[in-house]
Amino acid sequence: MTTVALALVRELAVAVKAPRMLYLHWPFGHALGEPGQRDQQRAILHDAFSMARLAPRPGLVVDLPYQWRRHVYAPVKDWTTESETLREAMKITIPSP
Amino acid sequence: MAQNSRLTPRNRLREALVRWADRSETGQRVAYWIGRTAGGIQLRLKIKAGSAIPWTPLKKPLAEATIALVTTGGVHLCADQPFALSSDASFRAIPRAATGDELCISHDRYDRRDAARDINLVFSLQRLLELEQEGIIGHVAAVHYGFGFVKDPSKLIAPGREVGALLARGGVDLVVLVPA
Repeated sequence: MTTVALALVRELAVAVKAPRMLYLHWPFGHALGEPGQRDQQRAILHDAFSMARLAPRPGLVVDLPYQWRRHVYAPVKDWTTESETLREAMKITIPSP
Repeated sequence: MAQNSRLTPRNRLREALVRWADRSETGQRVAYWIGRTAGGIQLRLKIKAGSAIPWTPLKKPLAEATIALVTTGGVHLCADQPFALSSDASFRAIPRAATGDELCISHDRYDRRDAARDINLVFSLQRLLELEQEGIIGHVAAVHYGFGFVKDPSKLIAPGREVGALLARGGVDLVVLVPA
């Protein structure tokens, strides 16, 4: 069984050593975003599903770049392709050789 | 402060503190620092270092996968026993048929007002059901799980394993873990 965890405290995400973690610099109680913001919540799920498929090794913590209440979320157009936001975030997390 | 009937009551001082922590940038920074410091100390004291990180690749395409949620946001069926607010390592099963009105929040450490307005913030069942209906994911699992606030993370190991076994028995391929 595959797991992807969202995290709101980066240091704990690193310390807990879970298989795959996505860190969001958002307030507690808002892991999926803001109330009624369907596109935002679906974007986070798309990132989580993409992380399930793309993460190359256990223990990876990827920082998602969304700024709290300052980011505009477009509807996810294609769920069969991975999230570009996650791909870009992973490049920062895993520097190219 | 008016009480929402789907939120387990807590004392006025804590309610005021978590609202401040949620609504101001300073409050958010302080809450983050407390979470990082208190949680970090607990993890260092209680979790064994050097153990291997589990790893199971996703074996199915999303459109065939069964997906479940595990939340630590204190979500449970209102008909069930609420979590003890001081610390409670037990868990509650939440069936996929649960509607927003049937879900309550028993958790003492975050501002629950937004989650009470839209439970998807801490338990995104409605979003998953939409994705299932659209054919984007295979199935939403029959049962999902909720935990409350726990002071000592080592107390979560046994119930965590139990929930893992229940999810595996339920044919779940992918679990999304959502924090408070």
